[in-house]
Amino acid sequence: MADEQVTLTIDDQTVSVPKGTKVVDAAKTVGIDIPVFCYHEKLGPLGCCRMCLVEVEKMPKLMTACTMDVGPDMVVKTTTPKVEKAQKGVLEFTLLNHPLDCPVCDKGGECPLQDNTFKYGPGDTRMEFHRAENLKMGPLSPVITLDRERCIACQRCTRYSEVIEQDSALVMHNRGFNNEVGTFNNESYDTRFSGNVIDICPVGALTNSQFRFKARTWDLTNSDTLCAHCGCNCNMTLGTRTNQFMRIQARPNDLVDDGWICDKARWGYDFLESSNRLKEARTLPDGGTMLFSSPTTQDAAVRTAEAIRNIVAEHGPESVGFIGSPYGTNEELYLYQKLFRSGFGTNNIDHKVYADSPGLPIDHYDVSDIETSDLVLAIASDPTEELPILDLRIKKAVTRHGVRLAVLNDQATLMDKYAALSLHYDIGADGKVFSALTAAISGEGKADVKNTGIKADQLKSLVEMLRAGKKITIVYNPAALTGKSIHGLNQLLAMIKNIPSVECGAIPAAPQTNAVGAMDMGILPDYYPGGLPVLDSESIKQQWGENAPTEPGLSALEMIERAASGKLKALLVYRANPVVDFPGGKKVEEALRKLELLVVHDMFETETAKLAHIVLPSNGPGYDDGTTTNIGGRVQFRKGGLKTTNPPDWKIISLMANALNEEGDRVNYITSFSVTDEIAKKVPGYGEISKRSIKKEGATREPPANNNGSGFEAMDSPSPNADALKLRIANYLFAHDKILDASSQLAHQFQPSIVHLNKKDAKKLKLKDDDDVVVVSGDVEIAAQVEISDRCNPGGVVLPNISDEQGVWGLANDRDGVTWVEIRKV
Amino acid sequence: MFAFSKEAEEKIEKILKKYPEERKRSALLPLLTLVQRQERHVNPDAMREIGRRLDLSPAYVQSVCSFYTMYSSKPVGKYLILFCVNISCQLNGCDVLLAHTAKKLNIEIGGTTNDMKFSLHREECLAACSGGPMMRINDTFYENLTAAKIDQILDSLD
Repeated sequence: MADEQVTLTIDDQTVSVPKGTKVVDAAKTVGIDIPVFCYHEKLGPLGCCRMCLVEVEKMPKLMTACTMDVGPDMVVKTTTPKVEKAQKGVLEFTLLNHPLDCPVCDKGGECPLQDNTFKYGPGDTRMEFHRAENLKMGPLSPVITLDRERCIACQRCTRYSEVIEQDSALVMHNRGFNNEVGTFNNESYDTRFSGNVIDICPVGALTNSQFRFKARTWDLTNSDTLCAHCGCNCNMTLGTRTNQFMRIQARPNDLVDDGWICDKARWGYDFLESSNRLKEARTLPDGGTMLFSSPTTQDAAVRTAEAIRNIVAEHGPESVGFIGSPYGTNEELYLYQKLFRSGFGTNNIDHKVYADSPGLPIDHYDVSDIETSDLVLAIASDPTEELPILDLRIKKAVTRHGVRLAVLNDQATLMDKYAALSLHYDIGADGKVFSALTAAISGEGKADVKNTGIKADQLKSLVEMLRAGKKITIVYNPAALTGKSIHGLNQLLAMIKNIPSVECGAIPAAPQTNAVGAMDMGILPDYYPGGLPVLDSESIKQQWGENAPTEPGLSALEMIERAASGKLKALLVYRANPVVDFPGGKKVEEALRKLELLVVHDMFETETAKLAHIVLPSNGPGYDDGTTTNIGGRVQFRKGGLKTTNPPDWKIISLMANALNEEGDRVNYITSFSVTDEIAKKVPGYGEISKRSIKKEGATREPPANNNGSGFEAMDSPSPNADALKLRIANYLFAHDKILDASSQLAHQFQPSIVHLNKKDAKKLKLKDDDDVVVVSGDVEIAAQVEISDRCNPGGVVLPNISDEQGVWGLANDRDGVTWVEIRKV
Repeated sequence: MFAFSKEAEEKIEKILKKYPEERKRSALLPLLTLVQRQERHVNPDAMREIGRRLDLSPAYVQSVCSFYTMYSSKPVGKYLILFCVNISCQLNGCDVLLAHTAKKLNIEIGGTTNDMKFSLHREECLAACSGGPMMRINDTFYENLTAAKIDQILDSLD
């Protein structure tokens, strides 16, 4: 087992490492550098480049340190004349056809070939013949440039494609003397994780087209930061020069990302300089209430606070509300809830349109627990599109650690291919499935699978798998559940925990960057930070003062309803775009238009910002510092990197708070960490979080207590007519939205609007592939093309959200149940 | 679009039975061979189809296909001549004979006659060193070649 230690000697140093470690990695632990090209610790041994030759006592020939396991009492020497001669020889061969164009090569300065040549190489070459001439620069994809002359055929990139991404899209053609890296039929290499090959290429053969010839690597200012696109919170390095964005690279943190980032992380940062950004504060020029003209951001913040306070004074605290964003940092969200609760006295605070509450009835597992589990149960989650690095982690667990995967979903996903058992329930039947599964595990009540699309024996197989599990990780996407079925899921989780001899935990895998943090920070109408229920008035008054509101507030959707009926007067929307992302479409817009005061604090000119009376610019990721909590409950620091004259959001929010306070009560935070320190004091579970504790790998926060004790009963949603189908809105990683706008590097990944229909329904509706249709619900019509597949069970359709313009959420008229749609041919 | 012939489908059924389901990728070379025989080359559509059946990426199929000289990316003639140019044949004068063959067929080495009858390819060792110089035409080995013998062999093929 991994615990067994082996002791050996490398260059006269004694090294103790776990059995199975390769000599090259063992040497690294004592600071001995054995040069490599083809070896990469995440890819495992190959031994094709011969760079890592070492001498081992009692072995007649030189050995490759990257393929050799450590052995007890092994004596390894890495600096003998024999080794040095071999290293020189190997490098001379490696450099035979390598153009020495380092002065113009983007890899220069961070190139293993360059470094190894300086350190171990010959000063000269005996090569007298013409060097091979190959493609000097060509697009491997719209974002990766391939220089075949520089390639040393180490196969890191092709093995990455095979071992890590597991789609073998990048391969070695013409194996042998003329081998070259390529794709099928010279197609573009555009997968979801293609960019990692740039980081692992040990030469300048694969380079980032965006960064090409932009700057020398040693001139960059590198900020260690996090990706802000999804709940994985992968670690990355933001390279800037003269305060301009240059590039993004992976920054390995095995506990979070295992060393990889997806292409959205690498190339999805054009928004930093998007023309659609809100650069300054503004007020509605005409119509509405003309509050004041051309304000500074600071001014606008103060006036916003005063305007909301005036409305509170006139109509009461229940007349104002806050819709936050699961994309904000913990600091920003914490300060906003504090402003609305302590400053305006309301609990009308929310950040989501699906049902969920803080805390889990079982342990909150970290992402790395997936690898040490023996069973992973993925529920309603599509990691490939929602949390890409989770997709890689699950694939790795299944294929390399022998973890079994069970899938329970209403749509087919890429995970099915890796699943030992994959059950597809009917869209909207999630609640019933959870109840049936709970009953089947407990043995009490009837495990009723009627009208779920799952057969009784399938359910039985799943129960058997769960019963046989030793350590089970349940990954679920709360945002993909319908109605209140999250409560049914919580009961199921509690039931799994009760299975004797099972150790289990869950990862709530909502796609948004800080979905976990937003719940923890109490951006909820019924919970204060740390999962403290508003009804627990005693604890609240103790923690938050006598005046803290203890009446449950309105949810985001209720706020929109109240705005429509004129009861809600003022709304502050922080980095959210309800007009596009909330169910209801036009109705949301009409409701927001009725508000006396709509303040939008956002990075972009969104459809919602266009309606706002006051607009406050938000710098967001890349500029502002803050912490976020990932799906595994790990809190990490997201450093800004770029500078701007606009104040950071935490400052804007504290300006608002201070505008309401008497001079003595004003709080002046110095950095974002001053807010983090306050969070540590005020938010249960975050006590250990500090600048220091999260510095290296982040730190997991204590999960809040679980409060979902309430009973849950699944309900049927009756079909309005015979041709109606249940709608599942799916996620697409590269959706064309405000983040990936038309000028994005990833624009080639945008997809057309496609509605996925089951064969049975297509036959019934007389539709065939590529038919142009509209998906209709009420008076909303979304144009789409038909694709017939078994992506969902009969009776449903899957419609991926591919752009803001498509506006799929306009179809969803009722988030509390199932949305029924009709498909009409155009 | 590519489709396997009826006979090929029957063979595929037999071939796939030889390997356990989780090791069905082992059928890659036999299937590529079927395509090469049927189409006289392996085109991307066929690679895609093989990949689909064996659960392999088309790129992987192509990477295997591009390694073996038995498979060609462009259509070859009815008779594919693989002319050994490895050391034993080389020492026995294969270069002259190869040039002779090319001249007789009036094509470049690596080319195909206009009537799609003959293709002539260089080949590394075909494991018949005792009989060099030698060539392989489709599935038949011809050994101890001379110019006259080559003429006679080529003339006898229709």
